[in-house]
Amino acid sequence: MEKLLQMAKRFCDKAEVYSHGIKYNKVSFENAKLHDIESAFQSGISLRIIKNGKLGFAYTKNLMNRQELLQNALASLEGEVEANYDFPLTKKLLQLDTYDPSLENLSSSKMVEECVRVCDLLESKTNGEIFLISFTPITEIRIINSEGTDVSIKHGEYEVVGGAVYPGSASAIIRSLESKKFEKLPNDMVNEIIELYNTSSKVVEPKGGKMKVMFMPNSMITLNWRILNGTSSKSVYEKTSPVAQKCEEKIFDEKITISDDPLNDKYPGARTFDDEGVVCQPLTIVENGILKSFYYDLNYGNKLNAKSTGHGYRTLIGFGATDEIAQKPGPALTHMRMKPGNKSFSQLVKSIDRGIIIEGALGPHSGNIPNGDYSVGVNPGLYVENGEIIGRIKDAMVAGNVYETLKHVVDVGDTLHPSFMGAWVPAILCDHVSVATKH
Amino acid sequence: MFEKLLRILNEIDADYADVRYEIKKSVAISFNGKELTQIGSNSTDGYVVRVLKEGGMSSVVFTKEDDANKAVRSAVENARLIAKNIEKPVRLAKVKAVEDTFIPTIKEDPRKISMPEKLELVRKYNDIPLGYEKIVTTAITYGEVIREKYFLSTEGARIREDLVTTRLSGTITSKDGTLTQNVTVMAGGSNGFSSIRNQEKNFEERTAIALDLLKAKPFEGGVHNCILSPLLAGVFTHEAFGHLSEADIIENLPAMREKMKIGCKLGSDVLSIMDNAPLKDQLGFYRYDDEGVEVRPIQLMKSGVLTGRLHSRRTSAEFGEPVSGHCVAEDYRYPPIIRMGTIFIEPKEHRLEELLNMLGDGLYILDTKGGETAGENFTFGAQHGYVVKGGKVGEMVRDVNISGNLYKTLLDIVGVGNDLIFSQIGGCGKGQLNIRSCFGAPHILVKNLVIGGV
Repeated sequence: MEKLLQMAKRFCDKAEVYSHGIKYNKVSFENAKLHDIESAFQSGISLRIIKNGKLGFAYTKNLMNRQELLQNALASLEGEVEANYDFPLTKKLLQLDTYDPSLENLSSSKMVEECVRVCDLLESKTNGEIFLISFTPITEIRIINSEGTDVSIKHGEYEVVGGAVYPGSASAIIRSLESKKFEKLPNDMVNEIIELYNTSSKVVEPKGGKMKVMFMPNSMITLNWRILNGTSSKSVYEKTSPVAQKCEEKIFDEKITISDDPLNDKYPGARTFDDEGVVCQPLTIVENGILKSFYYDLNYGNKLNAKSTGHGYRTLIGFGATDEIAQKPGPALTHMRMKPGNKSFSQLVKSIDRGIIIEGALGPHSGNIPNGDYSVGVNPGLYVENGEIIGRIKDAMVAGNVYETLKHVVDVGDTLHPSFMGAWVPAILCDHVSVATKH
Repeated sequence: MFEKLLRILNEIDADYADVRYEIKKSVAISFNGKELTQIGSNSTDGYVVRVLKEGGMSSVVFTKEDDANKAVRSAVENARLIAKNIEKPVRLAKVKAVEDTFIPTIKEDPRKISMPEKLELVRKYNDIPLGYEKIVTTAITYGEVIREKYFLSTEGARIREDLVTTRLSGTITSKDGTLTQNVTVMAGGSNGFSSIRNQEKNFEERTAIALDLLKAKPFEGGVHNCILSPLLAGVFTHEAFGHLSEADIIENLPAMREKMKIGCKLGSDVLSIMDNAPLKDQLGFYRYDDEGVEVRPIQLMKSGVLTGRLHSRRTSAEFGEPVSGHCVAEDYRYPPIIRMGTIFIEPKEHRLEELLNMLGDGLYILDTKGGETAGENFTFGAQHGYVVKGGKVGEMVRDVNISGNLYKTLLDIVGVGNDLIFSQIGGCGKGQLNIRSCFGAPHILVKNLVIGGV
């Protein structure tokens, strides 16, 4: 890496070398039986250079030929992609607890053993078809740049995701665990799967219309995706954000507070610097319903005369993005937290006269995302009447606009759960949401 | 290269093993609005090893040759662990061990076209929508992916194949006041750079739709009879039916497997569906899958009756059905999984006008905004639609999202058109991305679709 940086500096004003390595074991159970184990040892290098305010970018997996990588980056300079920013000089960083060495020695057989235990429990108490995936990614990131920055971080994560599939469908009650080291899947989580599955096993066919809808952490991606899009500096710059001019204005119900909390190492994946080497810090996006801030990387910060908020990530969010080194950094809110409320899940359910709990959403990536519109299939949707779950519905769509839906928040759940894209969110109960059914 | 791979294979103590090495060459040129945001070409590579040992099967992916021993050890240990923990040993269906080199002939090799020429062409297309006042931004990307694959197995297979994919894709965004609308634009294929040429009209038409959408009304949710455009019908075929034809999806879902038995009548009499990956000039084209099996056309449904399925060697043995050659990986970072090649609804006799008359009152919905499926439930978005009254196409509507149950919908397809069209870009994300996922259909008439509206 150092040698590549030295070579690059000879040809350009600024340079940055980013390396990413990942290794993992992934155990999967299908129909409560061990199906597959995959492992990986992968790494790659990415080079960004800036010369006369123009950007060069190239990447490779095996750094067999430094000259070729540099040539690719130099050749891409000729396209004249603008880059009027500087790479940061980042020195003192907080020490976070992001890696537990015990994960390195976690054997596939111990992962299998735990999966067998959970599968047996779920299988004995439901008639569902049980699936379970256990995954242990260990990642290492290092960034060096021409300003003198040399930062690195190692992450270890133990993830379990699984649940009970309603036979004849691929719809399931799913829960997930994200932890920094091996732990048994908590009984509460297992019991929640069992209870929700069993109370919703009957298919019901209610009428559609406007009703209460509870977005669970598993389906919150529907709303999050639109919020992340609307509050990104990229959308502000491109004039596609509907809230670009609404800073300090109320855009959601006051029960909604959204922040980014990269430094909190209670959760796996905490970061002290982003993928551009900028120091991470907590950032409030929405406070009591009022829009407080957008999030910036170096590039869009520069374009909008703002500073990077430490949100330049080589994110895999978005269709087609599958390798960190092949992605240029862009603004991403990777440690999103929604402030919990004070109602338990069962209290929330009790407050629903008639409505749907969306346990999973089909098609959150479809529709007019910039405008905040969503329209998702329920997968599954649990139907509630008079505070009781009475079954699940099929063939229903829930649709709305995030800036409208989150103005009608009835209550917010008291516990954060992992959601997609690094977010941890509570369940959110909204009113007046449109539900289309066949009946 | 094969010698190096043979050395890796020879180190593996297993009943069966294969190794795949790939060099992946990518070109990307991206515009966001007027600004060029990305340009460059890159080369990456890596290895995938799969082993079958004592009835357990496991895989490992690695980047560095130096890691080969460690990686292989891990795969063999994991395979033995699986063997110890399963009742029914994994078997692979028997296939002929192929020795072949297949470098497809293409119209205009993108490698021979200079970066400045590619850049100018993309810039020219991108400038078309940006010439209109109410188009606020675009996101247009030209992408080129060339996979140079080397496959070697302990059974003696030795295959070298290239896959060249070009694609021009992105969105055009219009805005009026606080209302933002976007449409996708796409072109490309497996057939070289020629598929990227002459797209001016395409960009003009898509821009006009983005502008019209600003005036279109949102659509009220409910249940409607609909005509689906060929691309939308293709998405439906891929999402709702195609995925359930992939044997690995239903292998361990016993109830679903029961429903999807060969010989079951699942669709209406007018519905026949085929996967034909060997079909030349289409995006889904290839000769050998990533298990070294030659792909063949599979009749999946004939007049509503389920007649075939897409398989890997493993599922072929498990289901006792013939191998099909559909086990494909995104690239060197993944072991292969079962994938559709070129799936389509076979055309029938009806012209669009006839389908509109058959529809009477309902909706004519067009083009795709992506979809997703979970077993029998599917959802997908249409970019726009038109209200149809008395067989006449009327005002434009926007935000049309459809959800449904596969089994009911297959029976509700009551009319099939004569105008088969195939998709030009792919992007199926079943765990991995398949940029060559190709689908097609003619216009189809479907009863009782649930539309989400807004």
